Order: sequence, then C-alpha cells, then structure tokens
Amino acid sequence: MTDFARRIAAASLLSLGLAGAASAESDSMIALVPGGPNPYFTAWEQAGVDAAAEFGLAASDFKVPQKWELSQQNQLLESLLSQGYNGFLIFPGDPVGSISIAEELVANDAQVIAGAGCFQDPSPAAFCLGTDTGNSAYLGMQALVKSFGEEAKGKKVAHFTGFLVDPNTQLRIDAVKKAADEAGIEIVQVIADIDAPEPAEEKINAYLAAHAGNIDGIITTAWVPSVVSANALRKIGDKRIHMVGIDHDEVVLQAVRDGFVHGTMIQNPYGQAWLGSFALDKLRSGCTVKEDAPFIANALTTKFIDSGTALIDASNVDGYVDVMREQTAKIYDGFEASYLSCN
Amino acid sequence: MTSHDVSHGSNGPISTPAPSSGAPSSGAPAQLSPLRRFLLTNEFGLILLIVLFAVLFAVTTRGFTTPFSLFTLGRSAAVNIMIGLSMMAVIVTGGLSLAVGAIGVCAAMFLGYLIQSLGMPWPLAILAAIAMGAALGFINGFAVVRTGLHSFIITLATMSIFFGVMVFLTRAEAFRGLPPVFADFGKMKFATYFSPLLLVTLAAALGLGWLYRYSVLGREMLAAGARPEAAELSGIRVGRMIIYCHMLSGALAALAALMLVARNGAAIPSMAGQLGQDWLLPAFLGPVLGGTLLNGGRAAVLGTCLGAFLVTMLSSGLLLMRVGEFWVQSFLGLLLLLAVLMDKLRRSYLARRNLV
Repeated sequence: MTDFARRIAAASLLSLGLAGAASAESDSMIALVPGGPNPYFTAWEQAGVDAAAEFGLAASDFKVPQKWELSQQNQLLESLLSQGYNGFLIFPGDPVGSISIAEELVANDAQVIAGAGCFQDPSPAAFCLGTDTGNSAYLGMQALVKSFGEEAKGKKVAHFTGFLVDPNTQLRIDAVKKAADEAGIEIVQVIADIDAPEPAEEKINAYLAAHAGNIDGIITTAWVPSVVSANALRKIGDKRIHMVGIDHDEVVLQAVRDGFVHGTMIQNPYGQAWLGSFALDKLRSGCTVKEDAPFIANALTTKFIDSGTALIDASNVDGYVDVMREQTAKIYDGFEASYLSCN
Repeated sequence: MTSHDVSHGSNGPISTPAPSSGAPSSGAPAQLSPLRRFLLTNEFGLILLIVLFAVLFAVTTRGFTTPFSLFTLGRSAAVNIMIGLSMMAVIVTGGLSLAVGAIGVCAAMFLGYLIQSLGMPWPLAILAAIAMGAALGFINGFAVVRTGLHSFIITLATMSIFFGVMVFLTRAEAFRGLPPVFADFGKMKFATYFSPLLLVTLAAALGLGWLYRYSVLGREMLAAGARPEAAELSGIRVGRMIIYCHMLSGALAALAALMLVARNGAAIPSMAGQLGQDWLLPAFLGPVLGGTLLNGGRAAVLGTCLGAFLVTMLSSGLLLMRVGEFWVQSFLGLLLLLAVLMDKLRRSYLARRNLV
C-alpha cells in the first residue's frame, strides 16, 4: 500500500504538473473517518498523508472508530472537532442517523464531505465521493458474462454480497440481476449479510460444498465474500467455475494471477481520501460547490461523484495500481473547474 | 439523592445479606459524623476521580474545556446515565436485563412509526413509546417470575425476540420524518455548555431517588431484592415487585432511546448496535462503579450517575489525548475491574474498622 501510495503521489506530481500548484501552508486539519474498521479503508491513511504533503495541509489524518457503531463514530467526530479538526471526510455510520452530527460539524464552521458512502438527502455534506456501486456491480456481471464466451446463455451464477442494512447492497443485487437478465443468465442464489469473516466462511463454504456442481459462476460484491470465495475456489481447484470479485485484496489478486478468479472490480478508496482532502481544503479556503456541477444522482443523494471503478483481470493485474492512479488523476483533472467555484 | 441501602436497619426495617467483605463486622457500627460517613462512601471516591481526571484532561489535552466539548460530554453522559439507571432498576432485584438496548430500540422505532406512519402528535407518541418500553419490561418481569429462571436467561432470549420482531416489522428502515423538535432538542444548548438532555436525566434520577428513599413501593422493591424470602414473609409480593422493576427498567430504557432519537434526529434500528448489545457496557459500568450491589437490595442512584459520568468523561478525555481509539474500550474494561477491586478493599477496610 505504501508503495502504491507513493507511486500515486509521484505520478500525480509528474503527470499533472501539480508541484507548482501545491498550496502554501494551509490551516486545514482534515479528518478521514470511516464508519468502523474495514480493510477497504486502509488506503485512506496513506492517501491522507500524501494529500497533506502535496497540498500543504496542517493534517489529513485517518481516524477509525473502534467499532461499527453509530455512537462511537459520533463521539469520535465530536472529539475531533474539539481537537481542532475543521474538515471531515466521513463514511456515514448511518445514512440518516449521521446527518445530525454532520449538521453540528458544519454549524461549528467545519466542512463535510461523504466518502465511500453517502448521507441521505438533504444533508449538510458538500457532496458524496464514492463508488457508483450499482454500475460497478453491473460491469462486474457483464465481465463474468463475457468470460463465459458465446455459451453464456443459460449459465447459473451465485451472488455473494454485503450487509443488507447497507443501502449499497440492494443496488448491487439489482444491478447484478439486471446484467444477468440481459444475458439470459440465471442468478440461482443471492447470499447477503456476509461481509465479515465468520459468516462468509460458514455460508460460502457450505453453499459450495452442496452446490458447487450446480453453478457455473460466482460474482461477489463485497470485500470479505470475495476473499473467501477466491480461497474456496483455490481449495476446490476447479477452474470450471468462473468468478468475478470486488476490491484489491492480495488473496483475490493472486487468485486472478493464478487463474482461479477471472477478474475483480477495483474501487478507488485511495482516490476518495486524496481527492476528499483536496476538496475539503478548497472548500475551507472559500470555494463553493457549483450549482451546475455534473453530479450523478443515486438512491441517497443527488450530489454524487463517482470515484471510479475498473475491471482487473489477468492482463492488467500487476498494473492495477496504475489503473487506480489513472482514475484518480482523471477525476482530479478538471475537478475544481467542474465542481467548485473559487474566486 | 444519596445511596439508598436497606441494610443493617440503618435506613429501613429489612436487612440485606452481609456484603462480601474481607472480615465480618462485630458489634454495632461505630458512630460517624455525616461528613466522615460521606467521605467513606463510593460516591465520594467517584467525585474525587471525576475531579482528578477533569484536571488531568484540562491540562494535558487540547479542546477538553471548549464549550462544544463540554456540551457534547454532558449530552453523551445524559444518555449513558439513563442507560445505567435502566439497568440499575433491575439490578436492585438481584437480576439483570440484557434486553435494555433491544427494548430501547423497539421503543424508539415505535415512536417513529406512530409519528411518521400514523401521524400521532409527538407528545402522545413519546408517552406511548415509554409505555411500550414498560410493556416490554413487563414481559421480561412476568417471564422471570412465572418461570423462576434467572433474568439472564430470560432477557438473553427476549433481547433477540424483541429486536428480531422490530427488524421484521420495520424492515430495518429508519424513521426520519420526525418533527424538527426532536433534532432541535438534541442540539439545543443552555448557557453555551449544557444540553437539555441533562435535565431529563436529572429529573429521572431525582424521581428514582425519591422512589427508593421515600416511597413504600421503592422500599418494597429494595426489600424484594435484598432477601426475597424475608420480604415475602413481611407481606411484600416479591413477584409483583420484580415485574414492577422490569417495567421501570423498560420505561427508562425507552427514555434513553428517545434521547438518542433527539441526538440523531431519527429513529434508527442500529442505534444500539446489533440486538441492542452496544448498550450493555455503559449499562453495567454506571451501576457497578456507582456501588449498586449485583446481588440486589441496594440502589445507588447518585453513584450510578457519577459512575456513568466518569465513564463518559474518560471516553471523551482518552479520545482527546489521542491514546488510540482502540485502547479506549480496553481502558474502560480495566476501569471496571479496578473499581470492583477498590470497592472490595473499601468495604474490607470499613468492616475491619467496624464502620459499617
């Protein structure tokens, strides 16, 4: 991750010529606060360090609540505000219940952006920067369809996904079904609520033990189910079952290299934190969000910015870092002109 | 609003079982001045700790004494104290309730349903939600009395039942269309520093203090918890008292949940974590630190308030000290252990000196 982050920062400086644009010392103290511990967010830490160095921020620190618990996140955010942090990239512990704390942060002259997950409108967040989860799942299913070749029609696929309380989960389920229907593929089983090691191991392994012979493919749309499924296919040793996963866990990437997994849909957590830090600093320095900014609407908000997604397969698995870097650079290029109004 | 210990005939006609002290007392307790008696109480120890830690945090952290920090500290403490009082109401019977969180969430979601789906006026909905909490508490109490099983088993089961039914009925969807008065109340400030939620908690604590100290009902609750057989012989209907205690606990849990609704501006199924388990640590920390006996018969209302406040302040202060978010929980667990050991030492000391 460190290597990846350094390469991101270096590439950004070189390819975009940002060295001269790096601002003077800023008093922006940015806090990057996920809803709780999850490997997805580990990239935020280095992204914050790099953004602070690159944009001259007083700080851009990764702060993790000790548990996925709304009250823990609220207490941490209150504490961070008291400590002097004045910009917050937040994965809302609850898209509705976190709005109140966001309003208090803004009322105390802090800036707030939602990262990786959105607040439900209306909220005081300037915008939401995250993965277009429905589109990512749709593209992932299309990649799986493509992997079957001309005989895709009539294939049977199992879908392993995340927590049902996460509003993204239903979007993913719907998107996968849509792509499957379009290709004439049957989703024979959706197993949700398993984005944690214990339930994922138990349910996926039990399902494959009973039904591996009855399915032709697996699509996963959450981190832990991807890892568990990749491991399971490796143990079974049968490359007949095609799989497309999600995210960039090393287990999944190695399975892609070894041919047990066809591909994985990477998201861009590094870019979310890096761009989020940049945008928060800009908002603090007086920029405002453009009224005609080209936001996307999703199930929660009309102010959504897609932080990017891409398929990583055997052809580009060793260069996945470059893919994420390109996506970050692509969004950064023109970000200020598209979304912010700075006098 | 001091500790209301129905023990050794000092405050009432019924004796609790002897505390687990290191040495048994002999003869009548020594006469102490009120001041010295207070200095030897659990509550004084907690006040001392609160002052010491407040000074420590004020000196060593950035932001502890800012108006926003003190405001949020008071607001969090108000909820934690109410949760602690909810558990205390059951602990006085010698039992416990693992379902306080689940009851709280059910009551909050019921409030959301009444207001958002049925259009009920919010004052009526608040009363109905508190009544719902009491009703769920009644189920706990009734099951405990009827089955004769320990409340641990009963509330372990009802925790899952209550929460499961709530998730089934609401499909785990939050109620956000609540009147602005809720969110406004949660964010309201008195004199820059104080949350009105503290007043709600204060009123509940005063009410409980009066109940246990001055009312017959409260005395009978304590007596039923202290020595059920003796209470039964004295004409107290112990089963009924246990049910009342669970109902009181349920109502207080509902009140705590409504305070969280005000805090969040919405009724959220996950507000107390999966099955409401996130409330368990604060629920036990307050009463245990405050000196409420786990085997019943003693209700330390002031102690529970101080204990819960201390825990909230430590959480806040440790976060400000940046000791690492993951260490806070460990520290609180250590504190609980330390507090129990200190209390044991204190009791042992008092017994050796024949002061109790």
